[in-house]
Amino acid sequence: MSSGALLATTRPSLLGCDCCGLVSAVPATQAGDAGDARDTCACPRCGHALHARKPDSLQRTWAYLIASVVAYVPANFLPMLSSSSGFQTGSHTLLGGIVELWQSDAWGLAIIVFIASIAVPLAKIGALALLAWSVRRAPRWRQLDRARLFRMIETVGHWSMLDVYVVVLLSAMVQFGSVASVRPEAGLLAFAAVVVLTMLAAQSFDSRLIWPDPETHSKAL
Amino acid sequence: MHGAKQTLVICESCGKLHRWPAISSRAVAHCIRCEAVLGRGHRVGVQTLLALTLAALFVFLAAQLTEVASIRLRGPAQVATFPMAVAATWREGERIVAVLSGLTAIVAPALFIALRLYVLVPLAAGRVPPGFRACMRWLHYTSRWNMVEVLTVAAVVSIVRLADLAEAQPGPALYALGVLALLLAAIESAGLKHLWREVP
Repeated sequence: MSSGALLATTRPSLLGCDCCGLVSAVPATQAGDAGDARDTCACPRCGHALHARKPDSLQRTWAYLIASVVAYVPANFLPMLSSSSGFQTGSHTLLGGIVELWQSDAWGLAIIVFIASIAVPLAKIGALALLAWSVRRAPRWRQLDRARLFRMIETVGHWSMLDVYVVVLLSAMVQFGSVASVRPEAGLLAFAAVVVLTMLAAQSFDSRLIWPDPETHSKAL
Repeated sequence: MHGAKQTLVICESCGKLHRWPAISSRAVAHCIRCEAVLGRGHRVGVQTLLALTLAALFVFLAAQLTEVASIRLRGPAQVATFPMAVAATWREGERIVAVLSGLTAIVAPALFIALRLYVLVPLAAGRVPPGFRACMRWLHYTSRWNMVEVLTVAAVVSIVRLADLAEAQPGPALYALGVLALLLAAIESAGLKHLWREVP
């Protein structure tokens, strides 16, 4: 069978494997429509599950997003770490750490940390909410920009772990008993939760939902 | 085996079907609808990939076993490796954060390297290792959770923040982390999908 004939006849049920890239023809009844893809089959080459759409994509995205908003509040208001040196003890929130970096003239790093721990999580939550909302409410609206936005979220998402690692490293490096010590505090857990939950939200969102139209096969092929 | 189907590629981002073009070695193919990367023209061979991964293994060991920084505050210098930092976080009671840091900055890169070596060493000798399919799937699942490059920047930030309090000297692990981040990015961009072509 030539590939042209294959395209023409079995087109709606061709599925690509996310894992190994193989395109396989799947019986149309098993390919699954948007939203309902439990009736799946596995890639014949690597065994990864094949879906036309990720199952329950929007529900799971919203669930993770709501959870991350809930965790975002304590992540910003609870202290991330407490330090004691000499007779002084203090606790530092996320923003406090950035202000300290700024005041010690490390502007570049202050900006990096600000972007990674304040701007990225907020932008991610906002952008994912917009993407998930627009799938149902504005399906034709600026599709290419939405696709680009999603790719950007996926690329920068894990950089928010930056502050978690910083506190982990600081609490191990500064262990001078009563002279000076740094301890992780409860805000760290909340912040780590925000990072992981927004990553899971992005992973749950199926970017194919941005393109609901049956594709036309004119120019591409 | 797959015949005509091998010349087809479906965009992972939007699901658009394309015929795989014959692209030159430096070119990158993009989806005509959503502009996501479909694939790259360069062919990093199994041998090259194996060499890069072996290099990554040694740099990984250096990054985990040597100190990120040595800190002096009246008295002997104190050294801290990253696994020690994770252990310290566990002892301080932030166990979930410790587990998460260990998974993303120790276990995930270790799997990234070890599974690739397990697959690449036999492939370089023309054999397919047992469990190849499962290994390739695990490589696919774990790649997103590898955050060595973030840890590298975090190490720099923490040394700068320490400078006020104590005398902090960057250790070998800091440089190793930087090299490791670059190596892993290079290996990652070579992709995994072309390895399936080595399988008879």
